[in-house]
Amino acid sequence: MTDHNRKTSKTNAVDIHCDAYQKDLMEVLIEKSSSDPVPRRLFLKTAAFLGISSALYKITPAFAGQNEIVVVNWGGDAIEAKEKVWVSLYNKKHPDTKVVVNGSGPSSGKIKAMVESGKVTWDLCDRNNVGGIDLGAQGLLEEVDYTRVDADAVRDIHRGKWWLGAYLYSFAMAWDTKAFDGKTPKDWKDFWNLKDFPGTRMLRKNFEGQLEAALMADGVAPEDIYPIDMDRALNKIREIKENTIFWGSGSESQQIMRDGDAVMGNMWHSRAGLVNKETDGRVDFTFNQGVLFAGAWIQPKGAPAGKAAWDFAAAAQDPASQVEYFKLLGNGPINPKASALVPADMANRDPGSPENIAMQVPVDADWYASDYGNILNKYLDAIAS
Amino acid sequence: MQGDMAITSRSSLLGKDAAYWGMVLLPAVFLATLYLVPVISVMVRSVTEPTLGLDNYAVILENKAIQNVLGKTVYICAVTTALTLLFGYATAYAMCRMPEREQRLMFFLVILSFWISVLIRTFAWIAVLQPQGLLNDILIGIGIIDRPLRLVRNDLGVIIGMVHYMLPYAILPLFANMKTIDPTLVPAARALGATPRKAFMTVFLPLSLPGLAGASILVLIFSSGFYITPALLGGGKVVMIAEYISVQMSETLKWGLATSLATVLMLVVLALTIAMSRYMDIGDTGKKA
Repeated sequence: MTDHNRKTSKTNAVDIHCDAYQKDLMEVLIEKSSSDPVPRRLFLKTAAFLGISSALYKITPAFAGQNEIVVVNWGGDAIEAKEKVWVSLYNKKHPDTKVVVNGSGPSSGKIKAMVESGKVTWDLCDRNNVGGIDLGAQGLLEEVDYTRVDADAVRDIHRGKWWLGAYLYSFAMAWDTKAFDGKTPKDWKDFWNLKDFPGTRMLRKNFEGQLEAALMADGVAPEDIYPIDMDRALNKIREIKENTIFWGSGSESQQIMRDGDAVMGNMWHSRAGLVNKETDGRVDFTFNQGVLFAGAWIQPKGAPAGKAAWDFAAAAQDPASQVEYFKLLGNGPINPKASALVPADMANRDPGSPENIAMQVPVDADWYASDYGNILNKYLDAIAS
Repeated sequence: MQGDMAITSRSSLLGKDAAYWGMVLLPAVFLATLYLVPVISVMVRSVTEPTLGLDNYAVILENKAIQNVLGKTVYICAVTTALTLLFGYATAYAMCRMPEREQRLMFFLVILSFWISVLIRTFAWIAVLQPQGLLNDILIGIGIIDRPLRLVRNDLGVIIGMVHYMLPYAILPLFANMKTIDPTLVPAARALGATPRKAFMTVFLPLSLPGLAGASILVLIFSSGFYITPALLGGGKVVMIAEYISVQMSETLKWGLATSLATVLMLVVLALTIAMSRYMDIGDTGKKA
C-alpha cells in the first residue's frame, strides 16, 4: 500500500514538472541555436531550402552572435574551398571568432529583404563589383573598412566604397575543338560567324559579359565599348538568336558544352576550365576579348558582426591563399602579388596573369550599376521575343 | 451511477468537438499567418512601391516587354492545356473501357509520375530530346532523319515537358467524370442506328463536358505558374510570367512590378478557380455530373 502510494506521488511529481521541463528544453534549444553555429547553419540552410523569406528570420533566434561571422556565397564546392583556405587562415589570427560559410546565395533580392526587415544575419557576401555599386547606391550596404583591409592589395579598379575585390573571373569564349575541321575561332567576330564556324551558340540569360562580346563582334574596339550602345548590341545578338541557347546557371553552361549541344559558348572561365578537364580538352577556351569581373566582398547594412567582418576579408587578401583558392576553384587571384606564385603550368588558366589581363576587357561596373534593372529587362526582352 | 455515465459521455463528446475544432484551428492559424499575411503584403506592396498608386499596373498595360511575356505565357498555357486534354481524354476514355485489372495497372502508371520531382523529369527530358540525345540518336540510327531535330530548348521542348507533367491532372478528373456516365447509353444510341462517331459526338461527349471543363481549368491554373520547366527546357528564350517575377524580385529589385504581376496572376487564378468550382460541384457530392 505505501509502495503503491509512493509510486503514484512520484509519477505526479513528474507530471507537474513536465511543463517546466519542456520549457527549459526549449530554452536550451534557443540558447544553442543562437550561440552554436551548427544548428544555426542548419537553420539557415533549412530556411533557404524551404524558400522562407528573410522577413521570417526576425521571429527566430538565429542571429549572428558577437563572436561569429557569417560569410555567404553561392553554394557548391565554393563553401568547402572558402572553409579550407580562408576560414582556417582567418582563425589563426582570430581563434575566438567562428566563421560560418553559408551557401544560400546572396542575391540582391535576399539582401534587400534582409536589410528592409531590419534583422540582418549575414556579415559578408560573395558578390561582385557590379552588385557592390548597384546595392551600395541603393543604401543597402555598409562601406568597406579600409583600416582593416589593405587597399593596396588590389588594383585601383578592383575596389570601391562598398566593395572589395576578392578574386577575378571572366566571361570567356569556349569552343568545341572537334566541330570546325581543325579551324580555331579566335575572337567574338568568329563567334558570330556562322558560315565558317557553323553550329549552335551559347550565351548567358543575363547581359553581363554578353553585350560587350556582341559589340566586339560588330567591330567596336575594346576601349570604345562603354558606354554600351544597347540597340547596337541587342541587334547583334538578335542576328544569331535563332541559333543560340541561353544558359541560366553555371552548371547548365557546363552541361551544354559537355554534351555538344552548343559548339561555342560565352561562359565563366572557371566553368570553361572544368568542362575542358571533363572532356579531356575537347572543349577549349581563351581569355582573348574576355570580359573581366571582380568577385567582391560586400556587407549588408546592419550586419551583426559589424566592422570586424572585414578582418575576414583582410585574411583573404593573402596572396598565397588566393593561389590556393585558384587551384581549388579556378577563380583568379586578385592580389597583383599573387600572379608570381601561380605555378607556371597553370598560369594560362589564371585570368589575373599579366598576359591574360592584357587580353581582356575590364567590365565598367559603373555603367552596369547606372541602370542595372532596366538593362537586364531589355536584354531579357530581346532574347525572349 | 447513471448520472455519472451520462456526464462522462457528454464531456467526452465535448472533448471530441474541441479536438475537431483544434484540427481546423491549427491549419487555419497556420494559413492565416504564413499565407494570408504574405499575400496581403504582396498586394499592398504592388500599390505602394516605389510610389503610392497604380503606376505598376499602368506599366503592365503599357510595357511591350511585359506584354510579350504575358503573351508567351498565355500561348504556352493554351497549347499545353489543349494537348493535355486531348491526350488525357483519350487515355481516360480507354481506361474506362478496360477490364478492372488493366484499369488498376493504368491507374498505377498514371500515379507513378507523381513520384518523380519536376526537376528530375525536366533533366530527363533534356537527355531524351537534346540534339545528341536518346530520341535523335534512335531516329538517326534507324535512318528516319539525317540531322538532329530541334526538340528542346525552344517552345516545343517546354510544351512537351509541361504536357507530360500535367497529364495526370487531366486524366484523373476526366476518368472520375466518365465513370459516372451510364455505360449503356452509347450502345443504346448505336442500337437506334447512330454511327459510332455520331453516338460519341451526341451522347458521350456532351455528358463528359463537365469533366472536360473542370480538367481544362485545373491544367490551365497549374500551367500558368510554371517556372523550372520553361526555364530549363526553353533554352533561355521562353520566359514565362513566374520566371519574370522571380527576376524582378531577386535581380532587378523592381519589387513593385513583381508584386503587381503576382497580384494579376493571382486574380486570374482566383477567377479560374471560381469557374472551376462551378463545374466540379464542390461540396455537392450527391449530385451526378
